[in-house]
Amino acid sequence: MLILAVLVLTFTAVTGQQQPDPVQIMEKGRDLTMIASLKSTMTLTIYEKNGATRVRTISMVSKTTGGTEKRLVRFVEPADVRGTAMLIVDNEDTQDEMWIYLPALKKTRRIVSTEKGKSFMSSEFSNADMTTATLSDFRISHMPLSGTGDSWIIESKPVTEEKAEEYGYGWKVTYLGKKDLKIIKMEYYNYENTLYRTIEILSSRPVVGSDGYIMTEMVATNLLNGRSSRIVYNDVNTTAKIPENTFEVGNLSR
Amino acid sequence: MAGFILKYRWVIISVSIMLGAGFGLFIPSAETDPEIRNYIPRSMASRVTTDSIEQQFGVQDMIVVLFTDSSVITGPDLGQIKDADRAFKRLEGLETVNSLYTARDIRGEEGMMIVDPLVGKIPETADEIAKLKENILSNQFARDIVISSDFTTAAITGTVNPGVSESITLGKIDSIIASSDGDAETLTGGLPYIRRYIIKDVNRDAVVLVPLALVIMLTLLKVTLGDWRSVLMPFSVVVLSTALSMGLIPLFGWKISIISLLVPIIMISVANNYGIYLVTRYQELTASETYLNKSEILHGLIGSLNMPILFSGLTTVAGILGLLAHSIIPARQLGVLAAIGISLALAMSLLFIPAMISFIKPTRKANVVHKDPGAFLLRITGGISRIVIRWPDRVLTVSVALTLLISIGISFLRTETNQENYFPHKHPVRKASEIINSKFGGSQTISIMIRGEIKDPGVMKAIDDLTLHLKAAEGVGTVFSISDVVREMSKALYEPGEPGYDMIPASGEAIAQMFELYNMSGDPDDFKQLMNFENTAAHILVRLSKPENDIIRSLEADIGRITADFPAGVTVGGYAIIMADFAQKIIRGQLTSLLFALLTVFILLSIIFRSVKGGLTGSIPLAASILIQFGFMGLAGIAVDAATALLSSIMIGVGVDFTIQYMWRYNAELRKGLSHREAIQKTYATTGRSIIINALSVMAGFSATFFSGFLSIRFFGYMVLLSIGSCLLFAIIFIPAFLLKFKPAFIEADLSRKIIKMRRNEKDVNTGSIGTHLHGSHGSTTA
Repeated sequence: MLILAVLVLTFTAVTGQQQPDPVQIMEKGRDLTMIASLKSTMTLTIYEKNGATRVRTISMVSKTTGGTEKRLVRFVEPADVRGTAMLIVDNEDTQDEMWIYLPALKKTRRIVSTEKGKSFMSSEFSNADMTTATLSDFRISHMPLSGTGDSWIIESKPVTEEKAEEYGYGWKVTYLGKKDLKIIKMEYYNYENTLYRTIEILSSRPVVGSDGYIMTEMVATNLLNGRSSRIVYNDVNTTAKIPENTFEVGNLSR
Repeated sequence: MAGFILKYRWVIISVSIMLGAGFGLFIPSAETDPEIRNYIPRSMASRVTTDSIEQQFGVQDMIVVLFTDSSVITGPDLGQIKDADRAFKRLEGLETVNSLYTARDIRGEEGMMIVDPLVGKIPETADEIAKLKENILSNQFARDIVISSDFTTAAITGTVNPGVSESITLGKIDSIIASSDGDAETLTGGLPYIRRYIIKDVNRDAVVLVPLALVIMLTLLKVTLGDWRSVLMPFSVVVLSTALSMGLIPLFGWKISIISLLVPIIMISVANNYGIYLVTRYQELTASETYLNKSEILHGLIGSLNMPILFSGLTTVAGILGLLAHSIIPARQLGVLAAIGISLALAMSLLFIPAMISFIKPTRKANVVHKDPGAFLLRITGGISRIVIRWPDRVLTVSVALTLLISIGISFLRTETNQENYFPHKHPVRKASEIINSKFGGSQTISIMIRGEIKDPGVMKAIDDLTLHLKAAEGVGTVFSISDVVREMSKALYEPGEPGYDMIPASGEAIAQMFELYNMSGDPDDFKQLMNFENTAAHILVRLSKPENDIIRSLEADIGRITADFPAGVTVGGYAIIMADFAQKIIRGQLTSLLFALLTVFILLSIIFRSVKGGLTGSIPLAASILIQFGFMGLAGIAVDAATALLSSIMIGVGVDFTIQYMWRYNAELRKGLSHREAIQKTYATTGRSIIINALSVMAGFSATFFSGFLSIRFFGYMVLLSIGSCLLFAIIFIPAFLLKFKPAFIEADLSRKIIKMRRNEKDVNTGSIGTHLHGSHGSTTA
């Protein structure tokens, strides 16, 4: 592997072939996943190592305007949490905001949390995976074999220890299709440089009216504890007109 | 027999050496097992329940790193803890890490539920420090869990990842601590560290104690037996039989434990016993008889000693095999290893030593110049015999009175299974344990698993009631329960005074939604040790500040009573319960092995003396020594633990020799036509000396344990001295007085009619003449 990497680097240097800027690749790749509006149902299945599963079905509405992404999530299944709703405002520059409504208690609470690296709904996906990454938080570079096959292989390393703590990993490798810049796979390494988690994009579909796409099925696998989680989007609608007042706290209880 | 030995002496010597050396080659491949729970059979109820709980909620083995200072709420200390916390979280060897920096502050504030790290920015001003202290004291997931209420100690705890080598993980933790920069002093503790210290101390003990015991033994043999030739014969039996028994450990697929560490010590102390009788007899023959050729010497040795040595060996093996009735696994293993080793030592003593002796050129009496090393011992035995013969009644009365007096201590006897107490007080493990027990709710735990629909409000309420009850119970430090999480969530959702605040909700949906809320805001791993993934099992973890057996038993009974009508299935286990069961097993094991050994020895003695009364008489020193041993332990506050539990069987096995040897020789002297008193005197002057040398060599061998790294092994050594000492005193003081006083028929049963008739007409000589006779006898054997 190391010999191959050295050969590739040597070849690149000899031929003088310039690789495109990895930051630009990541930016383009990220922009393709940004969707102005989305209406969908999502099924999250968590698989325990012992074979046990937990299924959550939620309906989701999201809208991105001016760098701010707003999401309204409502639980459909299981029955005992049906009606539980969350409103998430993912601000580009300021702290994210989250409200939650618990129908059994008839209570709405704003949740203030600064931790992005934490698990998303107890799954192997993290909250950070579910939001758009801020690329300036990372030092981005090509991996040795990047561009030699059908994909760009880009390394993203948090710029500071604090950012690493916030995102919850040591560094990440993203595989993007060389032609379409679609994300194929992500590998997460812990602080001891051990690969501990992967996310694979199993299927996607284009967004009508743009070059972008939506990942409709993805699997996160934790290689250390043997757990995995699958997210599948159904009834995807990227053209629906979503009124701005959908994302008001008062709507949570409706 | 003598002819056989002479004919095959080379074969005997070669086979003996090959056996010892061959098995000895396997010793380096023996591994150490530091896990105390492996001492207990897997089928034991508390192990079964604990295993089922751990299968669901993971192994609860936790490393604890303590940071102590006059106050740890200072910039440098908090920085030190933060650096360590960050480094620990990055270790693959740790699955979860809990610290001041993982603790969350979940609170309701102006309609918001705020989830913040308990310590965000390190406080600088007095106000910030005061605010942090206030937050800590009001946070039930931090106070006395990751920081003590007096702010003098902070703890980082971590559960070990079984997929990573524990020694590598601990090594990394140590280097993180060593490189941490701050004012706080650090201490490490928890079961993984205890295990590491056990491995380290077992290895250290093996390297230090075994050579030390060998040197002590060699010195003692030289002092008591005189010439090197006499020393090396029993000593080579010790080395060969010890090598064989230790080599069997890896061959049987066993591991070295704190208990099996005693195998070489027992072997070194006991294996030379039979050789000593032979060598002293050989010295006796070459010194006191006229010229004897090789065959005559061997006949003289074997003829007079084969039977008593064989019986001594068999009773020792029987006593040691009493350990097979023990419930502690390494105790049984020790029983097997020591029994095989002693059997080999016995065979070698009866074959190998005579074979070696056969190579010694016979000398005429005139040429034998013995510098009698036992003259001092003969003076002692002479003195004892005068007292015994003059005042047999008083000797018996004083012996019985003293024994009964000391045996009062049995009522104060206690058992000890807390492995932290295996280490001396200044040991880092003890220091860390003392802080954990006094400031962090304790390191020993009881686990309660509840199986059912955990989100059901009835079940959750029952869990909450049990949790509250346990929190108020004596000896309980802290209790972790899923109901605490639910209560905490209710505090974040409701305002103080509002219905529902700090309460278990009345509907299952409300509980389910609270958990979902926690999943959104906190880390679900926070309570993965408290509730399973499917929400069908919950875990109440009880940490004990007073991990004493009676408290554990009482808590177990309490839990059983409260959960009798529980709306879900309840399983109680945990390390503390296993240890309490272990204590009970030790007591039961002690009793069964004691009874087994006593019964076997009694049967053997009855066969040897062809009389039940003979069996009973021979058992008196053992029974008395057992009373003295346990009585003294009770009076001195020495607990019965995994090591001291072995005492009785070892004492019975070794101590019975003295009585057999004494009574056998006494009978032999009677058969020669000596009067009772003369026979007593003669026995003192001959076998009495061997018995004392033997007892001293056993005690000397075991005295190496005084230098063990484990307190328990040291106490074991002290108690061996006491119990073997009392066996010796009863064999050479009480038994002669008893024989003289009661003149039991069994000892005279095989005497000829002529001798018995003579015995009836016997007019006892006075003690003055006894002294003269003894002196003369002494002179005749040593001149």
